[in-house]
Amino acid sequence: MSTLHAKRANEFVKDTAVVDRHDATFWAVRSKRDKMAHEVPEWEELREAASRIKKHTVTHLADYLEMFAANAERNGVHVHWAKDAAEYNAIVLQILGDHGVRKVVKSKSMLTEECGLNDSLISNGIDVVETDLGERILQLLGVPPSHIVMPAIHITREQVLECFRGHGIIEKNGQQAADSMHGDLKKLVAEADPTFLTRCARYHLRDNFMTADCGMTGANFGIAATGEVVVCTNEGNADMSTSIPPLHIVSMGIEKLIPDYESMAVFQRLLARNGTGQPTTVYTSHFRKPRPGSEMHIILVDNGRSDILGNEDHWQTLKCMRCGACMNTCPVYRRSGGYSYTYFIPGPIGINLGMLKDSDVNYNNCSACSLCCSCDNVCPVKVDLSTQIYKWRQQLDSMHHADPMKKTMSEGMKVMFDHPGLYNAALRVAPLANSLPSWLTNIAMGAWCQGHDMPVFAKKSFHRIWKDGLKDE
Amino acid sequence: MKAGLFIPCYVDALYPEVGVSAYKLLRSLGVEVFYPEKQTCCGQPMGNAGFQGKADKLVKNFDELFRGFDYVVAPSASCAAYVRLFHPRIAGHECEAAGKTVDMVEFLHDILKVKSLPARFPHKVSLHNSCHGVRELGLSSPSERNVPKFNKVRDLLEMVEGITVMEPERPDECCGFGGMFSIEEPGVSAKMGLDKLHRHMATGAEYITGPDSSCLMHMQGIAAKQDLPIKFIHVVQILSAGLQ
Amino acid sequence: MNPNQTKDTILGNLRRNVRETYEKPDLSFAKLEYQDAVAAFIHTATTAAGASVIEMKEGDDINDLIHSAYPNARTIASNVEGVKADRNPDKVEKPQQLDGTDVSVVLGTVACAENACVWIPQTMKERAVCFICEYLVIIVDRKNIVSNMHEAYARIEMPESGFGAFISGPSKTADIEQALVYGAQSFCGVTIILR
Repeated sequence: MSTLHAKRANEFVKDTAVVDRHDATFWAVRSKRDKMAHEVPEWEELREAASRIKKHTVTHLADYLEMFAANAERNGVHVHWAKDAAEYNAIVLQILGDHGVRKVVKSKSMLTEECGLNDSLISNGIDVVETDLGERILQLLGVPPSHIVMPAIHITREQVLECFRGHGIIEKNGQQAADSMHGDLKKLVAEADPTFLTRCARYHLRDNFMTADCGMTGANFGIAATGEVVVCTNEGNADMSTSIPPLHIVSMGIEKLIPDYESMAVFQRLLARNGTGQPTTVYTSHFRKPRPGSEMHIILVDNGRSDILGNEDHWQTLKCMRCGACMNTCPVYRRSGGYSYTYFIPGPIGINLGMLKDSDVNYNNCSACSLCCSCDNVCPVKVDLSTQIYKWRQQLDSMHHADPMKKTMSEGMKVMFDHPGLYNAALRVAPLANSLPSWLTNIAMGAWCQGHDMPVFAKKSFHRIWKDGLKDE
Repeated sequence: MKAGLFIPCYVDALYPEVGVSAYKLLRSLGVEVFYPEKQTCCGQPMGNAGFQGKADKLVKNFDELFRGFDYVVAPSASCAAYVRLFHPRIAGHECEAAGKTVDMVEFLHDILKVKSLPARFPHKVSLHNSCHGVRELGLSSPSERNVPKFNKVRDLLEMVEGITVMEPERPDECCGFGGMFSIEEPGVSAKMGLDKLHRHMATGAEYITGPDSSCLMHMQGIAAKQDLPIKFIHVVQILSAGLQ
Repeated sequence: MNPNQTKDTILGNLRRNVRETYEKPDLSFAKLEYQDAVAAFIHTATTAAGASVIEMKEGDDINDLIHSAYPNARTIASNVEGVKADRNPDKVEKPQQLDGTDVSVVLGTVACAENACVWIPQTMKERAVCFICEYLVIIVDRKNIVSNMHEAYARIEMPESGFGAFISGPSKTADIEQALVYGAQSFCGVTIILR
């Protein structure tokens, strides 16, 4: 009867220490974001501007894409178009094959995750190295991300140490890492020191940057007026990935376009402030041309986006810039963790994007919302996230994914609330729930009583009190 | 001024004293109060469950019952919000009654513009800023937004003699009720409620108060199960404290 | 697959699926302005961004300042005129040859007070010099400090190389248990010399 999200979340909350740590971690990010929001006097104007720029761009997207592609080609960049994940993966393989690429260094990209690129590359014998620290940890552990901005936040330092040890990284890079901190290797290992572990990864990845044949990045923004892409990172891994190997492949969802630099300023100011509570990402890198003697390719990926534009209720999800703020503020995400969701993007935006991708699987996430509307108020581009979740719920019945319990309860309520006589009779004799089938109240009340005591029904309802004399007072 | 009093179903069944307080308070402020006896529910339970279509007749009935009044007043922020924002969407057109529906706090603060109240409540309370009150009705400034701070519920409570009003850390985080959410996602819902209760209790308050009985009911159920020493009272009961 | 066919399919689908169009908004609302943008820049750079700032005075020697900031540096890479360097990013054959650089010295052309971003256009053959080093020194003129990113984007120019980056302090990560660590994949520290 329960959704998969509910089942997994019920398990997740059992470990109070884990759930409290998860909640506190993301609440801290939300708090930092609030502080940033209050330091910018024109904050709400920026959000409105960002929303409108995105609305403008996605409703003129074909024109902007043509402008972008023409400018990029003029800059000496190869532009490719991919209708879906299969086409996208094939194009990447083709480019890599043409260049005899054996090792790719990759900076974090949700689009490649969406398209299953890594599996495709690995099965074709290409070595793929994720270079964002969190992504690299997950790759070595063989587990998926649990958040789109802070993907490995649920992994403890001890787990990272064990993982690095298992892959020979401590042995190979540990001494150099300790030296860079003027520290004692044994002590740093014993403490599983985060700086030490980060430095181990730094030198481990440095070796990979030096020997890779290709660097792949996503794109946070594509600028139509100039044909360039903008990539924002804190670690500098996108820059390392693209300044050494002789080939740069950019994977970009078509909705990432914005018109020009004037618009870019608006988004640059919002992205990091919302995502991580910093005034900016450390690097905001603009790629317009290939490096001398190297090639740059941009793959424009649709994969369902042009269909979403035609969806009256949900087209505004195309405004999303994947900052992650809606997850951080979501009280349900914070207490259920990324793995409780069936789609790789969790939280409010993930519920919506998952439904657009595959409702037969991802209807399981529609329960993960108390409709508190906090997400609507943090979203820097004003996606109407909670309204959209409410609307999905209205469609579940016609998709044959409605919960039978909720359906029967709603039918029971309809009968009762449409007939005041019946409603008042029910109140007179017993709790509301008594007029519903007993198997159903057992389930519903069973769930309620897991966490609550039963509500106490008043001896006299307000209706009764009114009739019995209040109206004459 | 003629006001139609809307007493939502769960207030009717579980917290009738909140309805009585609302009635008496409005009368004491010189409002002509009418209570249409054929009223039932705002329809939100069905809507949040994904069956707002099953509320179509109810929406129509609501409009017929209430459209003749100057205002429709409900001592429940979430229900007032559902009527005002969702009834027109369900009906597919503007609804006369929905457009005039307000929560008690809005009615006192914005329409009657009450400046003083004779109430006395010599206790320390922790104010529960409920989600729909904050983010749908605008009873206070949402913590997410960079807008000037305000809180209409607090403004009213501070007119009460002897009261000390506290707000919990994370002042407008959801308590986890969410209607059918609490039944479909019992683990997360109860955890949210428990976390909220602890934050309210950390203020040292004797009572948790708020404009929504539904949130209070949810937290009360958890507090009872966990045997937590905290009491609950609706804002309207405090504002009317001492009225005959 | 036929590439042109895919392009036409996507563009056709987009054009067909637009119901209502929206105008580009007016962005002339008032923006954050600092009375003293230089002071604000120094504050943001040394707090939020985690950089050091040296204010160059009349008669200061740039090489002395670099040396005082990083006295233990053995290998300095730069193509900036007047900077004594062991490696020149214009002269190396491959970017890999810049690995092992202790300090790189580069020029910034616009700096932004609200977030300590400095625009570094690629004015060298191998831009790896900007990222591969242990520490980065950025030289920027005081007169090129603006208050906010709107002004910054209005001012920056893309060099002929086709690459430029806003950089704000050292490479950072908090991927392990939210512990903030400087020196993830790129430089571990930044010194900005205000000229």
